[in-house]
Amino acid sequence: MSRISTRYLAKRLVVSYLTLLVIMTILFVLVRSMPGSFITNMITPEMQPSQVERLREIWGLNEPLWKQYTNFMINYQTGEFGRSPMHKEPVWDVVIRRLPRTLILFGAGFVVAYTVGPLVGMYLGWWRGTSKDKIIYTSGLTMYSMPAFWIAWLFIWLFDFELGLLKSTYMVDQFGIADWTPWLAMTNILHHIALPLFSIAFVGWVGAMLVMRPSMNNVTGEDYVFLARAKGLSERTVMMKHAARNALIPVATQAIVGLAFLIDGSVLIESVFSWPGIGKLLVGAVLEQDYPVTQAAFFILAVLIIVMRLLTDIAYTYLDPRIKFGGES
Amino acid sequence: MSTQSENASATSSVKERWEPRIERFKRGWSRYTQHKMGVLGILILVMYILWALFPSVFAPHSLEWRAFIGNDQYAYLTLQQKQQLPHPPAFGDPFFAPLGTTKSGEGVLTLLVYSAKNALYIGFAAGILSSLVGVPLGLISGFYGDTWVDETIQRIVDVMYGMPFLPFLIVLVAIRGISTTNIILGIAITSWLNNCILIRGETLSLKERAYVESARVAGASDTRIVFRHILPNVVPLAFVFLAQDAAAAILAQASLAYLGLADFKANSWGMMIETVKAKNHIYDAPWWLIPPGLAITSIAAAFYFIGFSVEDVANPQE
Repeated sequence: MSRISTRYLAKRLVVSYLTLLVIMTILFVLVRSMPGSFITNMITPEMQPSQVERLREIWGLNEPLWKQYTNFMINYQTGEFGRSPMHKEPVWDVVIRRLPRTLILFGAGFVVAYTVGPLVGMYLGWWRGTSKDKIIYTSGLTMYSMPAFWIAWLFIWLFDFELGLLKSTYMVDQFGIADWTPWLAMTNILHHIALPLFSIAFVGWVGAMLVMRPSMNNVTGEDYVFLARAKGLSERTVMMKHAARNALIPVATQAIVGLAFLIDGSVLIESVFSWPGIGKLLVGAVLEQDYPVTQAAFFILAVLIIVMRLLTDIAYTYLDPRIKFGGES
Repeated sequence: MSTQSENASATSSVKERWEPRIERFKRGWSRYTQHKMGVLGILILVMYILWALFPSVFAPHSLEWRAFIGNDQYAYLTLQQKQQLPHPPAFGDPFFAPLGTTKSGEGVLTLLVYSAKNALYIGFAAGILSSLVGVPLGLISGFYGDTWVDETIQRIVDVMYGMPFLPFLIVLVAIRGISTTNIILGIAITSWLNNCILIRGETLSLKERAYVESARVAGASDTRIVFRHILPNVVPLAFVFLAQDAAAAILAQASLAYLGLADFKANSWGMMIETVKAKNHIYDAPWWLIPPGLAITSIAAAFYFIGFSVEDVANPQE
């Protein structure tokens, strides 16, 4: 049935798990080597040393480092993230409230960028060398060079401040709507998501285009494209069905790099638009030295990336029948 | 007599050795200049290099200059006249600041020119550092493909990929302290991955070429094969990634500056945008918000343009 052998899948899962463990270790070391700790922010000048000691004890910072490390590794794998000193509630509650918001914005950005990018790349690769290609390619590269937060501010200035068309802050209206119907909620979210989504997609599509264009160009020389043409198929069918499908493989690899790129983008975009997601939470947590939240946010982003990598490898086999992973040949 | 002929043969052999290379370079250059995009990139870069080297020539004022009114020198004006003078941030003539002024009365153009140095420094330093890490690791990994060496390097790359780039950079900068050097080191630590992976892929395919095989049959050592046969073919590609890394580094530094994680004493374009936001003048001072963004865009674009044109010269696609 499937072109992926169970053995290969099992091996990949084990490797992914080990990767996650290493990432967690690095994370622990990094976070602990930040100067000071969140206790520093809680201490007031009139506190007695014994009170400070008591604070350290409550937050588990007086335990030996190896014990903190073991606790961290065990707790995280059982989904026990501890309490956030900054938000005064369990980290899991803070994170789980924000995760869907990030996934909506960021998933939508990913889908838009990886629909537009490969399509544009496909046409550019097919028309390589024409003036249309040159103009679109150059302007794409220029968009790619724009700082995401700057373009976001320009959009806010233009669409919200000057034209008053779209909302630039938060995910839904903060006050005023008494009874939410699903329809109202949806339009409200769409109204608010338009600008951040546009800002992410504006820069994000270029990455896929840059990979698709040469890949498409290489494919045009292949025999099967020649054969498809010789069969008398229309130019459109040849391009879409025969050439583009195979040219998509490098794009799948690129999607992983693009994923990381979009996470960076969404960290910035979330803080520009006050979008209450993981990215904004993470930046705040690092700056405030909120260890538990920092670790949890990194952990979740790392899990996300690792899972996506695994899925891309599986997607390969469907794009190109020639690729087999660990098949018994 | 004999020495002279030896000298002559020495010079001729030097000539013989270098002539094909110069010839190849000239051919490459004439191909490169066919790309309008690449030429434009070089022109922009040259402009910024001139700005960085001689800022005082290009900037209308020195860095200390402030267009501030209400000092003693304006004491002879009446209150009404003073109120008619534009208040910083302002766009207009009275201050002789061609692109207007910031809130604290600095000339926007002056800041723009003086910040070029920082951007170029970060771009080149981070680009070169991440190439120095990524290219050798990619070469080794590709050359010893499918052995434990390759496996180890690829697992390290896997782990690094699992770290989201910008948050990781934020933590690194938070640990090591906010200074330009630390930002460059942080960017280099996180951005060698792409170089490594792509150079590895290229090496893997070069390794299977006929000329490498024939060199191996002829008894060439591994070192010789890597340095004489594979490296020269990888160098143009490495240069492409160097240019891309430089652009990415400039953008990363601007992002960090926007989040408030950049050296406050060093002038940089990202910092200018951060200041516009911090002083709440996003909506009413476009002359202050737009130029630094355009400067970042144009320098990053220049690096990308050069990179992609070099790539086309290195592997022509027609």
